[in-house]
Amino acid sequence: MMAFTPAALIFSVLTVTAYVIANFIYLRFRKTPLNPVITATVALVAILVLFDIPYATYMEGGDWVAAFLGPAVVALAVPLYKHRELLQKNLVPIAAGIFAGVIAGLVSGTLFTRWLGFTEELILTVLPKSLTTPVAMQVASTIGGIPSLAAVFVMVAGFTGILLGPYLLHLLNIDSPIGRGIGLGASAHGLGTAKAFEYGPEDASMSSVAMTLSAVLGALLSPLAAWLLL
Amino acid sequence: MKIVRIVLQLLVLYGFLLIGEAIQALLQLPMPGSIIGFLLLFSALLLKIYPLEWIDAGATFLLSFLSLYFIPATVGVVDYGPLFSGKGVLLLPIVVISTLITMGAAGFASQHIANRSAAQKEES
Repeated sequence: MMAFTPAALIFSVLTVTAYVIANFIYLRFRKTPLNPVITATVALVAILVLFDIPYATYMEGGDWVAAFLGPAVVALAVPLYKHRELLQKNLVPIAAGIFAGVIAGLVSGTLFTRWLGFTEELILTVLPKSLTTPVAMQVASTIGGIPSLAAVFVMVAGFTGILLGPYLLHLLNIDSPIGRGIGLGASAHGLGTAKAFEYGPEDASMSSVAMTLSAVLGALLSPLAAWLLL
Repeated sequence: MKIVRIVLQLLVLYGFLLIGEAIQALLQLPMPGSIIGFLLLFSALLLKIYPLEWIDAGATFLLSFLSLYFIPATVGVVDYGPLFSGKGVLLLPIVVISTLITMGAAGFASQHIANRSAAQKEES
């Protein structure tokens, strides 16, 4: 699957370069819409469209970069392990929040898309949107959705968490580090966790734990939800 | 020597991934092999079968560029432009609303139960 072609070299280097520049821009201005994933994606899409390069050709290089996704998902075990004391001390509320969030997300996403008459493929693509991108993409491809579109919906979910999350949390009187952290991490994954940092370190730890546990539970329950609700 | 340690630990992570994928294929499980690899590594750390020091540097290094690895996939939207010019644009408000429901449910449940168990502790 992974080829040693000139295209592979050009497009893997191009992807890394776009990412480095995008990160530099983000660190310089620190504005949410300048999220490096968004700016790097827009730049790369513009290059593909401008030079009329098919996505399949780009992916000869893209595959080399994407190959790190699998090991990165495995690596998420390390930050979770480092938070094990926090997890042990708050096991019941954390578990309750994760279960409630994952089930609410799977059920509402599936039902809304079904009610509006979308195809099964698109329903299965929306399904894993609350999971962290690498897991969401792998879940989408496992259950029959479209991984690259799933990644887009994950981004939309993340930005919803960052931009509207604080208002919702305030409205629902969710004002403790555990409530805010679990809410943000379970719904808006890594982007939500970045937002949780602004509330404080305890919110951020909770959010990081919630992100990882939601990804695992979501990966386990997504096939079941697809089977039950479709 | 730090770079050698990081490279070796990245290979260990890749090994966990391969084992996870093998188990997934063998048992025909409907979940990604990477999640199985994650569960194996987390269990190995918890049970002290595998020490944190032997994986920490590699995992931290790999995760510090996490968003890079999914850029090739997000670039894939280039093939789905027409979807969002039609009915597909409705998928965006669906995702927004469903995300808010998810956040509300998760945040409310965890805070409510945390407060209740704190109140119980005070009573006893």
